[in-house]
Amino acid sequence: MSNMGDLQSLASSITAVTSPFRIYLTDLHQKYQAVNDGAIADYIPELTLAKPEWFGICVVTNDGQVFEAGDCDQLFTIQSISKAFVFGLALEAHGREYVNSKVSVEPTGEAFNSIVLDEATNRPYNPMVNAGAIATTDLITGYSCTERLKKLLDMFKRYTGHDHEINVPIFLSEKATGFRNQAMAYLMRNFGMVGDNIDQTLDLYFQQCSMMVNARDLAMLSATLANGGKNPVTQEQAIDERYVQDVISVMLTCGMYDGSGEWAYRVGIPAKSGVGGGITAVVPGRLGIGTFSPLLDAKGNSLRGIKVCEDLSRDFGLHLFNVAKPDNVLADWISGDAQIDHW
Amino acid sequence: MPKVVSIHSYRGGTGKSNFTANLATTVALQGYRVGVIDTDLPSPGIHNLFCLEPEQVDGTLNHYLWSESPIEKVAYDVSANVGINSGGRLFLVPSSVKADDIARILTHGYDVKLMNDGFRQLVKALELDYLFIDTHPGLSKETFLSIAISHVLLLILRPDKQDYQGTAVTADVARQLRVRKMLLAINKVYSTLNVDALKQKVEETFHETVAGIFPLSEDVVQLASEGVFCVKYPEHPVSQEFRNVARQIAET
Repeated sequence: MSNMGDLQSLASSITAVTSPFRIYLTDLHQKYQAVNDGAIADYIPELTLAKPEWFGICVVTNDGQVFEAGDCDQLFTIQSISKAFVFGLALEAHGREYVNSKVSVEPTGEAFNSIVLDEATNRPYNPMVNAGAIATTDLITGYSCTERLKKLLDMFKRYTGHDHEINVPIFLSEKATGFRNQAMAYLMRNFGMVGDNIDQTLDLYFQQCSMMVNARDLAMLSATLANGGKNPVTQEQAIDERYVQDVISVMLTCGMYDGSGEWAYRVGIPAKSGVGGGITAVVPGRLGIGTFSPLLDAKGNSLRGIKVCEDLSRDFGLHLFNVAKPDNVLADWISGDAQIDHW
Repeated sequence: MPKVVSIHSYRGGTGKSNFTANLATTVALQGYRVGVIDTDLPSPGIHNLFCLEPEQVDGTLNHYLWSESPIEKVAYDVSANVGINSGGRLFLVPSSVKADDIARILTHGYDVKLMNDGFRQLVKALELDYLFIDTHPGLSKETFLSIAISHVLLLILRPDKQDYQGTAVTADVARQLRVRKMLLAINKVYSTLNVDALKQKVEETFHETVAGIFPLSEDVVQLASEGVFCVKYPEHPVSQEFRNVARQIAET
């Protein structure tokens, strides 16, 4: 106990457990654990192994406090959530102008896997639909597929603070059944939106979808964006802060598949979901939210995750455009200093 | 609103369990619903004071922490055992005294979040007015947790140098954990000591209130570990001092 740093960090880990905000998350978890609607993604057999009861909520604040409820260690595939971060990587490598010449930032009313390009420019609509993500993945540079994959994994490590693995059976399954994505890639090749290395780019695309994360990682990803691109725990810069706004704004307009408009209206927290059951949501300058529950609604978004984000947004006034005084002041709930008695 | 009270001492042998049992019983006798939870997982013992025999116990705090039982299912109504016949109720959540169970906790640890959520669930399920947490001496994960969670932290010390030093460390930790209210109780005080001077000295040393001073009492020792003193001798000065401490807790 001679080292005040250790005492402080132990004390802070304990006060995170006893914080009224974590109790709030625990209650939220209990409340929505009972929701059993929706369905687990089944377009490849590996995803059906997910258990419907799996459910984790994690919030990471800008000052690096971590609040968890439920299954925050359970790993699952990141799926489409990677698209937001790969977009950021492409921006860092090539700059705004070039990336925008390859992929638009326009929301599409079409499904995430539609084979549609912007007729005037032949660009895919945005980096959050499959076609757009294949285009941004193509922009990850490197001499070999291993080097390109390493760049991608290194990036995620900067965000979450630890190494990530690709789930090989899921990757192979995605690849073996991904004819639609292959078709899209070749269509884009036809218009010169992607380079010659289509097979390698597609592999890299399927690999990034098959990367394993947990709810805590998703919260750390968004908390890093919320914190100006710097991981709030390790303090490592994961993405050039100039491009954070690009990533977050596209998350807001396109992150929740074709439910994005309603999400922006109802929840108002920029977010990206994946069919693995994850949602990562960014409250700029304040915190990141990560949720995991594999039961999906018809649009492919995690049902329990949506409910958690709706409640958090409403209860603490986290909607981006909220100007009213919130019912609860988040800082008071986190510190436990205020007269909030959760007993 | 329920009140959570942690009772702690830096060193062993301060009479912490005995103190907890008497204080909890005093409060229950006033008509409240009171829970006592024995978080002294490495060396549990308070169940003896409430005359709860190991054979009457089929689940313990350990089983809750292993997710084998809800916390309220390992709470035992010991009101009748200690002689609370009307009004209040007294419940005990014991820790396991089986060597295997203790070894399992020591080897594998447990999720501190689960302990925290268990306290809360217990208060809700049994509709408790008070929860008293009996802790393991020294500083440990559960000590930190119980300090951080409590409305009142009661530190017990004896009037000697080792206890003074340890209590100072604990008080520092408690402030770091932003404890809401700290009270001190001095136990096992020799009858030759000047009580008022002792109280003043301790309060000056720790900058906290001394809520009670308890003599090294043969009467208490005679009954130790077999029943609760304040029920048997309600008019004894020691029992009156427990009521005095209970009043100060109620007032916080």
